[in-house]
Amino acid sequence: MSSRVLPQFDLLTPQSISEAVAMLAQYQGQVAVLAGGTDLLVWNYIRKLKPDYVLRLSNLDGLDYLNYVPGEGLRIGARAKVAQLLEHPDVAEKFPALHQAASTFATPQIRNMATIVGNVLRASPAGDCSCAILALGGQVLLQGPGGQRLVDIDDFWVAYGVTKRKYDELAVELRIPEPTSATRSAFIRMTRVHEDLAKLNVAVRLEMSQDTCSQARISMGCVGPTLVRLKQTEKLLNGKKITDELLQQLAASAQDEITPIDDQRSTADYRRQVAGVILRRVIEQAIETH
Amino acid sequence: MKTKMITLCVNGRDHRFEAPVNRTLLQALRDDLRLTETKYGCGTGECGGCTVLMDGKDSICSCLTLAVEAEGRHITTVGGMTRDGELHPIQIAFIEEGAIQCGYCTPGMIMKTASILANNPNPSEEEIRKGLDGNVCRCTGYEKIVQAVQRASRMLDTSQIQKSGGMGQ
Repeated sequence: MSSRVLPQFDLLTPQSISEAVAMLAQYQGQVAVLAGGTDLLVWNYIRKLKPDYVLRLSNLDGLDYLNYVPGEGLRIGARAKVAQLLEHPDVAEKFPALHQAASTFATPQIRNMATIVGNVLRASPAGDCSCAILALGGQVLLQGPGGQRLVDIDDFWVAYGVTKRKYDELAVELRIPEPTSATRSAFIRMTRVHEDLAKLNVAVRLEMSQDTCSQARISMGCVGPTLVRLKQTEKLLNGKKITDELLQQLAASAQDEITPIDDQRSTADYRRQVAGVILRRVIEQAIETH
Repeated sequence: MKTKMITLCVNGRDHRFEAPVNRTLLQALRDDLRLTETKYGCGTGECGGCTVLMDGKDSICSCLTLAVEAEGRHITTVGGMTRDGELHPIQIAFIEEGAIQCGYCTPGMIMKTASILANNPNPSEEEIRKGLDGNVCRCTGYEKIVQAVQRASRMLDTSQIQKSGGMGQ
């Protein structure tokens, strides 16, 4: 055998969402859901997970959409790929943070395979699309045996790798709200080389009225067990005119608010140092790119 | 061991074989079909050595794709680029530019180039470099590889790519 063999599992290939949900309920937490496969099929990851069953979404037609609905926002189906974010003209124009995250996301091959919803479900603190989505705000639509429910993205990640999705629920759609004409957003990530996972990533959504930010959402990754909103820093920004002095205060606040650790990609000290710098840059980028 | 009959269309030919359900597309190509031109590098989707084309246009990592997930799709490997013993213009461009050192990354590089040019027949140097982001050359012969993609772009009759709906179809 010319490469590492994946652990053994049985395949489940539901033909409908309701059949998929019934299978998730029947096999009680022994199931890993396969969409793009770029996380699940990495040998080290699936070896730890050791699922008895892998449930494929491949035969669930109609989940590969990425639609912009005027007045409502983005609707992203469970099988929509990251590459689709780059092909849709409304994403670049109305959701620049998400477009910037997608364009720096891993490699072209991975962008052709990985799903946007899968990036959210992986619940990694380094997720790039997830970081942009947390700043933009949104909801995950979950379908279970008893029906559907919407979970706000602010509540969706509960711990490293853990989400609010119950074992018998399938995430079927991600919704991102319509921006206003005053909305500005941007995303920046820091890596050693391009295809690496981020050392640090950050995204903002700012409601601007001339130079004044009326409302801000700031998300940062790789600085805690999940992606986090920097709510204290947001409060400092809300209602203020963006000046050099304010940007310095925001940078200092971000450094106080995060809890980074040392790991193979960076150190806590370095992350704390650059957190303030890239927050400043991402705010400037959000304002400038409009 | 759970097995399944799998039908794969590779380089325009259907292959039917029985394999464990956890077989990756790369393992199926190399070990079941003995099409060993596609390489195993990292197994984690970072090096691009296992790059193949799906449906003539999209480059994917065959190491992170289950063989069953490729059923019903058209897979192209570098072996499918050659026609009637004639090298494909992309292959010729790589040879003429000397864009090959040890050669291990070359099958992935050629397929990635096919994908770049199928989606954008006249890429800028920046677009080429961005397109090659997911392919590692440990000999670091990137300059010549970029030049080879530029040469291939000039050599290829782009109307041919568009008419056939992709590379190697």
